[in-house]
Amino acid sequence: MTPHRHGSAVIEFPSALEILTTREFDAPIELVFDVLTKPEHVRQWFAPFDDTMTVCSIDLRVGGAYHFVFVTKDGRECSFRGTYLEIERPTRIVDTWLFEGWPDAEAVETVDLHETDGVTQLKTNLAFRDQAGRDHMTKFDGQEDSWDKMEDYLRSLLDPRPRD
Amino acid sequence: MPLAPTTPDVFKAIAEEHRREILDALMAGEKAVGAIVTDLSMSQPQVSKHLRVLSEVGLVTCRADGRHRLYRLEPEHLRPLRDWLSKYEQAVNDRLDRMDDYLKHVQQQGESQ
Repeated sequence: MTPHRHGSAVIEFPSALEILTTREFDAPIELVFDVLTKPEHVRQWFAPFDDTMTVCSIDLRVGGAYHFVFVTKDGRECSFRGTYLEIERPTRIVDTWLFEGWPDAEAVETVDLHETDGVTQLKTNLAFRDQAGRDHMTKFDGQEDSWDKMEDYLRSLLDPRPRD
Repeated sequence: MPLAPTTPDVFKAIAEEHRREILDALMAGEKAVGAIVTDLSMSQPQVSKHLRVLSEVGLVTCRADGRHRLYRLEPEHLRPLRDWLSKYEQAVNDRLDRMDDYLKHVQQQGESQ
């Protein structure tokens, strides 16, 4: 009897610039990697059931791009895109992550997979860019700014409309 | 699911690590500025400035006690943040649950072939 894992994701904020999500799946690592990186699989789970996935392209090589678009049942378009920076099948993927409509909220996403006895642990770290270094702002202004970005990103997941 | 209007301000208020330290210091109970200065080795003007920001978003309130002004934590004003975080956790969990269901489905198909 495998444990019921629904709702078991652990979400942590290792810093004001990062969101780390950890979750286990009762599946071998190779399959989890495929389900994360092959369009025919991603189409089956990425969007909520009521929504329609209109674009799902993945060019899985360093420098290759991915683009996911789904349309919510009330007609809103949600677009995620980025470029692969590192690929180590089946243990690691690093890519840029951009939710369109929120151009400042670009992040580097690091996906780490680890299998123990047929259970695969997925760790996803979203690290937002540190605006502080770029704009020569003070340390604390920079932190506030990054929280704004994180809030934009989180808000976009919950309520994916462009900001008024 | 729009956020409560005060939420972004609460976010900015707690995004600054010294202000989080002040909130931590006030968890033990109300304190005068001088006591916070001693606890945290920050300058008095710095502490006062941060307390002003925290007061503006309702996270601390202040009352006069003789010559002192005592500051206290108002943790219920963190509620919008907590509510919003739980919605985010729900959205992430829903996506990973869909992936979990799909992985089970794929593996069952593999076994039946």
